Amino acid sequence: MMESNDERLAIREVRLGATRAEGGTREVSYAIGGERDLPFSGKRPERLLVALEICDDPQFWPPVVRDYVGDLANDTAEWARAAERTYGADLVRLNFTSTKQRGFDAFGAIAATTEEVLAATARPLIVEGSNEPELDSEVFRRSGEAGEGERFLLGTAEADRYRSVAAAALAYGHAVIAQSPIDVNLAKQLNILLRETGVPQDRIVIDPYTGALGYGFEYTYSVMERIRLAALAGDADLAMPMISAPTDTLSIREVREAAPADREAMAVAWEFYTAYAAVVAGASIVCVRHPLTVAKLKAALEG
Amino acid sequence: MAMKALDIYKHLPKTNCKKCGYPTCLAFAMKLAVGKADVEACPDLEAEARTLLGGVTRPPVRLVTIGTGERSVAVGEEFVLFRHEKTFYHPPGIVVQVSDAWPDDEVRSVVEMVEETVVHRVGQDLVLNGVAVKYESNLPERFAEVVTLAGGGNSLPLALIADDPGALEAALAVAGHYRPLIHAATEENHEALAALAKRYGCPLAVRAADPAELAALAGKCADAGVPDIVLDPAPSSLAGFVAIATDIRKAAIGRTEPALGYPLSIDAGAFGDADAAIAAGILKYAGIIVVPPLSPASVEAALTLRQNIYTDPQKPIQVTPGIYPINEPGRNAPVLLTVNFSLTYFTLLGYLEASRIPCYLFIADTEGLSVLTAVAGGKLTETLVADSIKEFGVGDLVDHRLLVIPGYAAPLSGKIEDATGWKVLVGPRDAADLPGYLETEWKT
Repeated sequence: MMESNDERLAIREVRLGATRAEGGTREVSYAIGGERDLPFSGKRPERLLVALEICDDPQFWPPVVRDYVGDLANDTAEWARAAERTYGADLVRLNFTSTKQRGFDAFGAIAATTEEVLAATARPLIVEGSNEPELDSEVFRRSGEAGEGERFLLGTAEADRYRSVAAAALAYGHAVIAQSPIDVNLAKQLNILLRETGVPQDRIVIDPYTGALGYGFEYTYSVMERIRLAALAGDADLAMPMISAPTDTLSIREVREAAPADREAMAVAWEFYTAYAAVVAGASIVCVRHPLTVAKLKAALEG
Repeated sequence: MAMKALDIYKHLPKTNCKKCGYPTCLAFAMKLAVGKADVEACPDLEAEARTLLGGVTRPPVRLVTIGTGERSVAVGEEFVLFRHEKTFYHPPGIVVQVSDAWPDDEVRSVVEMVEETVVHRVGQDLVLNGVAVKYESNLPERFAEVVTLAGGGNSLPLALIADDPGALEAALAVAGHYRPLIHAATEENHEALAALAKRYGCPLAVRAADPAELAALAGKCADAGVPDIVLDPAPSSLAGFVAIATDIRKAAIGRTEPALGYPLSIDAGAFGDADAAIAAGILKYAGIIVVPPLSPASVEAALTLRQNIYTDPQKPIQVTPGIYPINEPGRNAPVLLTVNFSLTYFTLLGYLEASRIPCYLFIADTEGLSVLTAVAGGKLTETLVADSIKEFGVGDLVDHRLLVIPGYAAPLSGKIEDATGWKVLVGPRDAADLPGYLETEWKT
């Protein structure tokens, strides 16, 4: 198929979430991508999205977030509801941290939790699979199936574990996060692998991996800029929207060892500076864990 | 456009007289080509060649110094649009704003905060750079008084934020000898402000909302005898700032508009969220960032972002190879082999400290390469591991002979066992999984 030159130089649009009219149950759906120029220049993307991360087993979650959300941490559905209604997140990112437990086999709970979260929030979901390659296939199948037609963004495909997430995305109509370790060429390779597996290019979102601010974030920032420049110069295998999740920022020394009275402010500042810089480098979606960071990012991105 | 060294060389006298301070005309040409030498250093240039080369060899963004002495801050002299193309050289000066309408105590406490703030990170001391005094009292003598209160420019660099020439004149009578930034000349007041900047030899900011007007205004001030100019594009939104700042940097580097070849300034207090404006300024070409008084958390995050972005990407930051004890390890603590790529080290350190598991991090010299690259490129080898165990005296620290190696180094496990005599355990590939791995797998 011939494409116009203009089409070739744009970042591909990826649709996330599905409204009733689109075959899902979400109140909104988003199209990310479509940029033809550097961030904030030229044609502006439709919108920049902020996701709040939640999980199904808070023992593996940063204490500074657990302290803030309190009992919500023990009720995944209520946490998801608050993410939308109280904290104003555009998307909810559900992490199955329960799969970190030794000998995990509660696969039924994966589907049940996915359904509960779908019922609790009307926002599109990002769903993270397991932490164990052996569990991936079953976790992706259960959660992917429970969300069939909802156009989740499923995470996370990596170079050595992408088949099960790709299979679930293809079977149930979801998009995929393709994560590579802060390297333009590895990002490209993974996108090619996914393409060869049959994942359409308009269902891939690049995650270049976000090093924590002060702990290598500059590498992430420059790799994001390079991915975007390569895409704008015509490299179709890198012409996907990007997602950034500064997950590591809440476990660094500056946050952990802050005086109790300052810890929350430090966590929010660290997440905010990292996520905002990722947006300036080209990210379409930023994912954070502290609810206060969501509101701060939303205000900054709309202002 | 910038000229290549050989094209510049054609215009030089080719006498290799060394009067410019370089051994040959070609060496001088190479310095000129990268903006690191001044064409005026050559005494034998024809006037025509001097003009031609002067236009193309000066740095695309002029170096402007605010303040004097140890804490002065030099900004500009940048050469690229993206840090990965080369590097960014001069981190923006962050100046904290006070008002002359505030009580003295409040001014004093902000000035003290700026003087005393130091964040120690990776061997560097990160500081806030100065104080901006804003004229809001409508009393020129009060403005001068608060400028004095802020140190008069003697200790910390100052920015004098006022449109009124009378107020600025009063402040410059106090601080004029310490190169404060006069902020800012506009279409209305530029003649009076340029005259003041010239008289005191101070840098001058010019403000206009449109890049073409900004260039025109900068040109007028330069013609009036003010060489050191800072551009304030007065953006109406942060997205607007990023877009305009990018256009201005492009014009400067492409040398399409010489009057835009100056550092930028941004007033972070003019936006809803000062943190976002500070980040945007750091990332996208600001030379001077005027900020409201910030929380300690914002200061630390902002200074860290500035350090990250102005780190030279041409040098992989390396950690000194050796043994790093974490969480007070004893003689039965695990020994974890890794590489001296700083990102790897910091990531491991974060997870291991958080886990509270006592251990030794054993960092081999892979010349700053990551595990994956070092294994693939033959920099991490069994010989290196064996030699490093001896060199760092690892055997004297622990009673066991077990070595945990990174998951990506698994192909080397047999060879490392043979070369070292230590039993090798293959750890996870991902640092995040290391604490869990040690909890379940580590037994001595």
